[in-house]
Amino acid sequence: MTNFLEQTFNGLVSGSFLALLALGLAVIFGLLRVVNFAHGAIYMLGAFGAYVLADELGLSFWAALIAVPLGLAVVGVVLERAFIHRLTRLDPLYNFLLTFGLTLILQDLVKARYGVQSSPYAVPSALSGSVDLGLFEFPAYRVFVLAMSVAICVGVWALLTRTRIGMVVRAATERPELTRAFGIDVGRWITPVFGFGVALAGLAGVLAAPMRAVHPLMGADLIIVVFAVVVIGGLGSIFGSVAVGFVIGVLQVWAEAYAPESWRALIAQTLPFLLMAVVLLWRPAGLFGREETA
Amino acid sequence: MLRIDGLNAWYGEAQVLRDVALEVASGEVVTLCGRNGAGKTTLLRSVMGLHTQQRGAISLRGTDLTKKPAHSRARLGLGWVQDDRGSYATLTVTENLTLPPRVGPRSWSLDRIYEMFPNLYERRSSPATKLSGGEQQMLALARVLRMGAELLLCDEPTEGLSPLLVQRVGEILRLVKADGGTVLLVEQNLHFATTVADRHHLLAEGRVVESLDNTEVRNRERELLAYLGI
Amino acid sequence: MKRFATALGAVALLVTACGGGPQSGGDSKLTGGKIVLGVLNDQSAGYSALSGKNSVEAVKMAIEDFKAKYGDKAVTSDIEVVDADHQNKPDVANTKAAEFYDRDGVDAILDVPTSSAALKVADVAKAKKKLYFNITAATTDLTGKSCNKYTFHYAYDTYMLANGTGKNATENGAKNWYIVYPNYAFGQDMERSFKAAVEKAGGHVVGEDAAPFPSDNFSTYLLKAPTLNPKPDVIGTMQAGSDLVNLVKQYNEFKLRDKGVGLSVGLMFLTDIHSLTPAALAGTTYTDAWYWNFDAKNREWADKFKARTGSRPTFAHAANYSAATQYLEAVQAAGTDDADKVVAQLEGKKVDDFFLRNGEIRKADHRVLHDAYLAQVKQPDEVKEDWDYVKILKTIPAAEAFRAPSPDCQL
Repeated sequence: MTNFLEQTFNGLVSGSFLALLALGLAVIFGLLRVVNFAHGAIYMLGAFGAYVLADELGLSFWAALIAVPLGLAVVGVVLERAFIHRLTRLDPLYNFLLTFGLTLILQDLVKARYGVQSSPYAVPSALSGSVDLGLFEFPAYRVFVLAMSVAICVGVWALLTRTRIGMVVRAATERPELTRAFGIDVGRWITPVFGFGVALAGLAGVLAAPMRAVHPLMGADLIIVVFAVVVIGGLGSIFGSVAVGFVIGVLQVWAEAYAPESWRALIAQTLPFLLMAVVLLWRPAGLFGREETA
Repeated sequence: MLRIDGLNAWYGEAQVLRDVALEVASGEVVTLCGRNGAGKTTLLRSVMGLHTQQRGAISLRGTDLTKKPAHSRARLGLGWVQDDRGSYATLTVTENLTLPPRVGPRSWSLDRIYEMFPNLYERRSSPATKLSGGEQQMLALARVLRMGAELLLCDEPTEGLSPLLVQRVGEILRLVKADGGTVLLVEQNLHFATTVADRHHLLAEGRVVESLDNTEVRNRERELLAYLGI
Repeated sequence: MKRFATALGAVALLVTACGGGPQSGGDSKLTGGKIVLGVLNDQSAGYSALSGKNSVEAVKMAIEDFKAKYGDKAVTSDIEVVDADHQNKPDVANTKAAEFYDRDGVDAILDVPTSSAALKVADVAKAKKKLYFNITAATTDLTGKSCNKYTFHYAYDTYMLANGTGKNATENGAKNWYIVYPNYAFGQDMERSFKAAVEKAGGHVVGEDAAPFPSDNFSTYLLKAPTLNPKPDVIGTMQAGSDLVNLVKQYNEFKLRDKGVGLSVGLMFLTDIHSLTPAALAGTTYTDAWYWNFDAKNREWADKFKARTGSRPTFAHAANYSAATQYLEAVQAAGTDDADKVVAQLEGKKVDDFFLRNGEIRKADHRVLHDAYLAQVKQPDEVKEDWDYVKILKTIPAAEAFRAPSPDCQL
């Protein structure tokens, strides 16, 4: 039983990354109607950002945790102004292709500069120990990752539901045209929201650096799972994306630990996509999504 | 108050408005009627700045609107009541009401609105789409009252409502008028139109083909209804 | 005008593609008048650091050294290298290999990591009757049921790794093993080989799990390890490339060494240790096919390699150099690039170059035998030089390092 709880807790930790990435993707999709394929590459840049700041400037993990998302938010703003903005009037496929191209470019730039081997990054010393959670001990860093992720998801939720900015973003997400007719300059919110979503991906990358291989392709496989998460949760549904992110994290761990022995790896790997297929057939708008009000 | 001159609009290759010219004076209620596809909604959307494929002059109280985006037009006093009622599912009733900024001195307070619409007060914390169709229509009207818009652009506010609720809409529009407000109304219900409006424009194939007053409409009701296909 | 330019381009392409054809003629014994080596490997993903573009560079070094050695007496001075990225995908490897042989006139394909892709290329080599030196794939099937006359398995295989690491660690007290392996041909092959080696040495496999491949989360298995009964003395990980990096990072995070569960790595390359830092792996033992700082001879080549690439070679880089060299030597001796004649030169040949110590190209199954090494990652304070992360604990003689020829292999 303890082991089950320990594994479940651990699933929440790996779900933290899915939730943070899905949250950014959902916020961006909501307002811009852009599926940002480059989200995985931004996550990778977040991890590399932490590595480069440590390696070349000697900055700590904590400094990176602030500086990297801010820096990437600026990158996001530039990308939105320079490229994405120009294509939003066209079929969404154009921006999908654009961000896919950006992904390849970003990956290759990092490869060219830092090579294809993984770059080293250590757990910050303050979090290198273990925490006693009552029933079991758990690596402090993992507890921190989960706490950060939950805090950010709750924070974004509060921002969206409890503030005027959040109300405006929700309204603009749901009915952009109508919202403009009510005197709200929806366009003004697009660039900052894109930057914010990108910053969340960067933050997830920084959090990943101490516990995962810092590699130019580290986001490439992960982003596909995140897409499945967002589709299951309902495109643009903030709550759905976050909740499904954590749930998929736990389900994958359960599959790895408790599914019939010879099926474990296969189930764990295909689970997000199987769920996605089922959800698409049963509720095409996703578990928490609504049918588009055109 | 509102002046439209030489307005042409297109959907792709198809021209839907041809040289439309009309004026709405301050304090007036004016309806636009015509068959489906005559261009009524496009005219309203062009005034609001939501339809961009258009050319012509539109001005509000002498201010040229043609270069202004929709959100600036709203801040100049245009109040939008969309034909599908435009309720936000992700916003509560109160949030639906407070989303638009207050733009004019006639802006209603929330208390006054809830006094006028007790149903909305009871459901103030529910998502707006949980309301009945009639309640959602009241919400859409209440929203522009809260804004304090000077010129309401209402797209078929009585569509699909029970006779009792149609009456209620009429009361509200008359209240707006009594308060000095101006309304440009798209309406198929001629009888209703004559109870609230001063003048009526008949649109056909993108042109204003006739302008009538209430007496003329009443006299020719049968002919007009046949023409509108109702 | 545009159409004209396109037509012109097409003509230019055709000429380029047939290039060499018209001039070759004469009485040359070489097809197309030249020798073409094709390096087919991962140039973009998880295995691109341990081999990739730098293996192409190693093959170029082999060609230059060959030309310098023979000068005018060389069978030809026209030796080319082509390379392609197979993305570790069997279908891509299959297509690229066929293109290499048919379109590019490749005489021998080198490298080809990822077992499933490697086996596909063996089939192509057999069908096209052209040479193939596999270097970076581990599966023993290349010298077992999938062996063929034109395929040679050069650097290592799962038996060599398991027999070196599994046997040695078990004999040194790691009786109970928990094996975690990636869920594809290489991993399954490694798991079988390790289990056999551990049990043969008197050890015991208390648990084994196939993990998704690729994966960035191994914590499920790391949490499970200490709860197994009996508790394993060691986790044997068969992960490679960035999967291995993920697993080791997380192994350290869960502090399993402090909980008495050691780590043994099935396959590790120098680039993996570089990524993880020696501190993360200090004390870990594994079997190496070759180490750059083993002696002066190795170091001399490693210095040249570093001057060209900026990093120290993995055993895959050295083996690519060696295989290209041995192929060119065989063509030189045969006086032709005719595949059957070159194979005849290679079969049974005893070789001793800086990579193949006490080497022999075994006739029975085309397994290339050579000394292997039991290596241990140094403690951080023992590392005096960048990339010098390993000490060699013992040499496993060529005769013991590899398995006996398999009865499954009928050349």
